[in-house]
Amino acid sequence: MYGKGLRPLSIATVVMFAITLSLVFFYAPIEADQGFLQKIFYLHVPLAIVSLCGFVVGGIFAVLHLRRDDPRWDAYSYVAIHISVIFAVGGLLTGSIWAKGSWGHWWVWNEPTLVSFLIVFLLYATYYPFRYAIEDRRRQARYASVFAITAGAFVPLNFLAVRMSASLVHPRVFATAEGGLPGSMMLVWCCSIVSMALLWTTLVKFELSAKSAQGQLKRLRRALDAPTTAASSRIAPEVH
Amino acid sequence: MLALLAAAPAIPNDVGGKYVAGAYIVFVLLLLIYVAIMGMKLARIERDLREVAEIAEARKDEAAAGGETSAPAEVKS
Repeated sequence: MYGKGLRPLSIATVVMFAITLSLVFFYAPIEADQGFLQKIFYLHVPLAIVSLCGFVVGGIFAVLHLRRDDPRWDAYSYVAIHISVIFAVGGLLTGSIWAKGSWGHWWVWNEPTLVSFLIVFLLYATYYPFRYAIEDRRRQARYASVFAITAGAFVPLNFLAVRMSASLVHPRVFATAEGGLPGSMMLVWCCSIVSMALLWTTLVKFELSAKSAQGQLKRLRRALDAPTTAASSRIAPEVH
Repeated sequence: MLALLAAAPAIPNDVGGKYVAGAYIVFVLLLLIYVAIMGMKLARIERDLREVAEIAEARKDEAAAGGETSAPAEVKS
């Protein structure tokens, strides 16, 4: 069920990535201030933005789970958060590499954008132990949904708070005042974000289909085990 | 492909080039790690599926054999 459309989606992702990488390295102009180092932005910024959006999407799926009491939405929420955490790791690592090249430090603790992103990442890193600490499946799903909604609401608030904060050492892709990206760079950047969003969707679908196969297998095993258990319980009195 | 690579400008051998290459390699590595983990998961699912299919086959054979032997016994009783 979840695997439907996975192949065309995967092909679209690969094609889009090929186009984007070609544009990044052959079309996008070299930035005057940062030079070639700025090419990291076509990877780092989409990774960070898609991961943050993924967290919010995970929260929306969690709302749907609580409203409809359908475990499918819990699976969607879990997988969306899982893939977003991986993207966030990518965003943190690539951002750190850029910071080393640009600022000379792997991490700057007084930069609100970095620290707030780290806080969001650490918040979602607690999702797994929190979820798996609860054994009862239904309770686990409900509590995980409440977590996903609360944390999902925190993400845009956090983003706005950072945006409004005074220190703006971190470069802005979309400038609040004048400036911003020139047309050619904006085009490449938009392609980057579309490819990253496609990659996120593909991985979510891929993981969901794997999870679905695993679940069906478990059900099959239980169904196969059931007659044996029933048979043994019927046989047992005869032995005594 | 080779012509494209030949026409491609070399990565600047300054500080920026090194870091850009590093960032893109990290991204590819992250993807590869994820794909490898998913590959292992799928291999496990495939193995389990084979096992379940074998159990089902054995159960079917058992039921067929049991049916053959138990049917006359039931007739006798």
